[in-house]
Order: sequence, then C-alpha cells, then structure tokens
Amino acid sequence: MSETFRNRLLLVIALLLAAIYLFPLYWMYITALKTGSEMFATPPSFWPDDPQWSIFPFVFQLKGMGRFLWNSAVIASGSVALIAVLGTGAAYVLARYRNAWVDVGLFLVLMLQVLPASLMITPIFVLFTLTGILDFPRTAVILAIAAKSMPFFIVLVRATFMSVPMELEEAALVDGNSRVGAFWSIVLPLARNGILVSAILIFMQAFGEFVYSKSLIQEIELQPSSVGLNAFMGPNTNEWNRIMAFASIYVTPILATFVLLQRRIVSGLTSGALK
Amino acid sequence: MTTQIEFSGVNKHYGAYHALKDINLSIGKGSFVALVGPSGCGKSTLLRSLAGLEKITGGDISIAGEVVTTLPPRKRDVAMVFQSYALYPHMTVEENLTYSLRVHGVSKGERKKAAAEVAATTGLSDLLHRYPRELSGGQRQRVAMSRAIIRNPKAFLFDEPLSNLDAALRVHMRKEIRALHDRLGATSVYVTHDQIEAMTMADHVVVLRAGIIEQQGRPLDLYDKPANKFVAGFIGSPAMNFLPATVAEGRAATIDLGKGPIRLTIPVAAPIGSSVLIGIRPEHITLTAPGEGRFDAPVAFTESTGSTTFVSTATNPELMVVETGRRMVANGDLVGLAFADTAVHVFDGATEKRL
Repeated sequence: MSETFRNRLLLVIALLLAAIYLFPLYWMYITALKTGSEMFATPPSFWPDDPQWSIFPFVFQLKGMGRFLWNSAVIASGSVALIAVLGTGAAYVLARYRNAWVDVGLFLVLMLQVLPASLMITPIFVLFTLTGILDFPRTAVILAIAAKSMPFFIVLVRATFMSVPMELEEAALVDGNSRVGAFWSIVLPLARNGILVSAILIFMQAFGEFVYSKSLIQEIELQPSSVGLNAFMGPNTNEWNRIMAFASIYVTPILATFVLLQRRIVSGLTSGALK
Repeated sequence: MTTQIEFSGVNKHYGAYHALKDINLSIGKGSFVALVGPSGCGKSTLLRSLAGLEKITGGDISIAGEVVTTLPPRKRDVAMVFQSYALYPHMTVEENLTYSLRVHGVSKGERKKAAAEVAATTGLSDLLHRYPRELSGGQRQRVAMSRAIIRNPKAFLFDEPLSNLDAALRVHMRKEIRALHDRLGATSVYVTHDQIEAMTMADHVVVLRAGIIEQQGRPLDLYDKPANKFVAGFIGSPAMNFLPATVAEGRAATIDLGKGPIRLTIPVAAPIGSSVLIGIRPEHITLTAPGEGRFDAPVAFTESTGSTTFVSTATNPELMVVETGRRMVANGDLVGLAFADTAVHVFDGATEKRL
C-alpha cells in the first residue's frame, strides 16, 4: 500500500466519520426548512423542495426568542465573568506553589469535576432555597454553573501559567515590581491566550447549560433558550420544523463563533504543551 | 575600599537540607566578585538570597550599609542578569530595557532617552523595536545586560549569564562584561561553574562547595596557594595531579606509582610517617629524556590541540602533563618527568588541607 493511497484512505475515513458526526446538525437545518407534509414523507427527502425561510422570523416572534437568548447570554456571561476572576487567581496559586496543601486543593478541584450536574442539583436546590438565593434565579444558575465549570477552567489555565517561566516574574521583581505588579504586567499578558480560550469554551458550555436552568428557574421570562427549547417537547409533539428552527437560531451563533475562532482555540489549547 | 555588600552568618535551609552554612563574605565597592563551584554548591542560592528571591533562614545581608535581610527584591536596588536572560517575550527590546524605569514612574520621554543611550553603548540601537524572539542568542544576552545597566543599581548580579552562548561568543562577552564593569565602576557579583570565567573576569574569587566557602581571594592566589585539595583540583585546567605519599625524614616524601617508591623533596615539614597528598599542576611538569627528570613513566596516550599537547602517563594514579609546543612522544614511550620543588603542593592526607 503506497503512502499516498494510505493518506487518501485515511482522509476518506475521516470525512465519513465527520459526516456521521455532523449529520444531526444537517438534519436540523433541513428539517427547519421543510413544509409540514415533506417533513413526514417516506422516504425522507435530503433537500427541501420548497425551503420555508419565513419559519425563522415566525418562530422567533412566536416563542419570544429574544428573551430566551438574552437570558442565555446573561447566564453565560455571568458565569464566565465569575469563573474567569476567581479561577484565574486559583489557577495561578496552584501553578506557582507546590506543597501538600496545594496537592490536596488540586485533588478536590478535580473531584468536583467528576460529580454530575444531575447529582449536584438536589443539594444545590435545597441550599439555595434555604439561603434565599433562589429568589434571584439567574444568579442562582450562574453560581451553580460557576461551581460546576470552575475545575475545567482552573486545570486549563493552570497549565498555561505553568508554561510562563518563573524567571520572568523574578526578573520583574528584581526590576522593582511587586508580586501583584509582576502578575499583572508579565504573567497575565503571557497567559492571556490560554485564559481567553478557556473562557470561550466555558461560555459555550454555559450558553447551552440545561439541568441547572431547568431546575432552578421557574419563571418563563427568566429561562434561557435551552429550557425554552425543551418546553416545545411534549408527548404529542409534531411541529418538528418549528423546534428545529428554534434550535437553529439557538446554536448558529455559537457554531459561527467556534468556526471563526477555532484556529486560535486549538493553538491556545496546545501552546502550553508544545513549548 | 568601602564594603558594598556584606553577608554575615547567612544560613539557608530547604526543609532538612542545609544549602548555605554560615556564610561570611564582604564585597568591596567597585569590585568584581565571582562565586564559583560545582552544581549544587549553593552559589546560585547565595546570589538569589542577595537579590531577595530566596528568604534566608539565618544571618544578615546588607547592601551599601543598609540591612536588607527582610526587604523584598524591589526595595534592594540591585539588577540581575539571568541564565535564561528572562527577557519579557511580549515586550520589544525598548520596553524590556525600560521596564524598571516604567515601574519606578519615570516619564515616557526620559525612558526613551535612557533606552537610546544604553542601546548606543551596547550596540542595540537598530534592534530597539524588535521582540526577543527575533534576536540571536548574543543579542538577547546584550539586551539582558542593558536592562541591568539602564538603572544604575547598587550592585549587578549575574547568574551564569554566558552558559547559553557558544564558545567563541563566550570568550568575547567575558571581556565585554568586564569592560562594562570597569566603565560603570559598578559592584558585580558573578555566579559561574566555569573556573576560567571566574579566573579571567574577577578581582576576587569565592570557591563554594556544599554550602561552605572553601576559599576566597585573588584569582592567582587561589591558583598559587589553594587552601585545600578541593580548591586545588577545581581551579586550573586540566586539574592538578594528586599523588598519595608518605612523609620521610629530611623534608622528603615517598610516592608509589606502581613501580616501587620514589623520593621527592617537599617544601614543608610534616610528621614523619604521616600520609599526605602531593599536588603538581600538569602545566608545571616538563617532559625530558628518560633518566633526566625526577622519575620516569611510560606514556599512556597523548592529545594535541596544535598549540598544546596533553600527555597522560600509564601510572597509578595517572599523571597529566601539559606541554606547550609539539613534543612528539608516542604511546608506550618512556619519558622523564621534571618539575621544580616550588611547584609541589602538599595537602594533609586526612583533612585534605594545605600544609
């Protein structure tokens, strides 16, 4: 088997796997555009005969998607802001100090990530009810998401900090700066890429978060898009095209952002590893 | 000469590990001091303690008469050149040079002027707007030096600054650093594991081993009168030959190289019958025809660099001889070894101290 043939074969396999993986996404877009009868036709059509573009503004209006998307954005931004501020500090300390307590801390941080949201939600719900945080449902969700996603952020950003040589900080100290000053002017700018990439990943995660939002937010006008989408579903659901239109409006901005930033995200994630 | 830097009774523990043991050292204003020793001897720890990057666990350090033991690095007013140069990768050369000035609140105009002046003296004028990654090793080294001299600090600290350069550039930078020191009239402390750097650059060499100062003094004093076997072996290249010997009557000692006892005259008195170590530097031995030297030995092998020839003898212990010029001896030849009585160093066999 020659080298080029093998490469082509691997490429074909990769394309096939990608096609299988991305098929649901494709199905979402074309189902949204199909008419009611085309949707249920057998055999199914793989391209809509008469694309119903008007479904997007229609569903957006009907379901008040502006509200849902706004809530998703508020929750995601709030979580990212909280995680970035607290997580960056924690990651720096865990990267720079080595002793038994730091190891314990790191272990606990990693343990947090193991616990699934569906398990955590009951104690969180009880705690938030008792403390009254549940009266501010979006804040409650932000806190819950921050607790859930912080470990992931800390682990990624810690690796970034560890790739910044200690000597640079020491040079800044000898040059007359304080530890805090050295952190802001030397370490943070050098770790910026890693922090940004981790924050973007957290944002995407939080934008699609469902379990906490569903459980903690009762009021429809405070719910994010993920819960709004779920509200469509029922035992007798048959308006698939509207659900798919909702889903398309919901995920397309995230997909677009990811495609635009993917080069930076990949390089940001590997920069620490390769240097 | 007034004292610029003083270590008194400095100790440093890392947990149970005792890295610096009761260091007393005073460094005169304007002098160039080299801290030299094998890796792990504590020389870098001593330098980092002086900079404030390590907290000492006992004793005091003072700079220019002020006790700085508990002060953070930024209040000590010293500049340091790191082995890796530690240039800030996200800043241009100019920003690197002026970082300390910016931290100290110097105005932008003044900073630019200072950077231009320093760059002119160190040949960096054309590189001010480059980033460190766009520079060669030698240029980075220059930026690191310039970043130190722009501030006019109380002392310059160098932590093996030349070890990442190639051999030719290293020899060149040695001279340049020393010239810079003389021009600025600065006080410099220079850490190196390379005794040649220490010997050629410093006014005062401090030899450390296992957290202890083994000997300090002018470079040639260390070479001529090493205080113990360790310093004798560390200073000078190739290393001094050591021969175990037994003291005999009349200031003599007998050595045994595997072919029966040989009598040598030693320059000092020692108890008869005690065991000593005879040290002779390779460059102080000359080759003669067999029978014309102090004793004869067969040649094991020779290495020639063109200007000098290194000859090893097939004796136990092996002897190294450095001959200038191209004396042609072949492996297995019997040669005579000659040396002056004054070239013989004698160390106590047990304590390894100079007698």
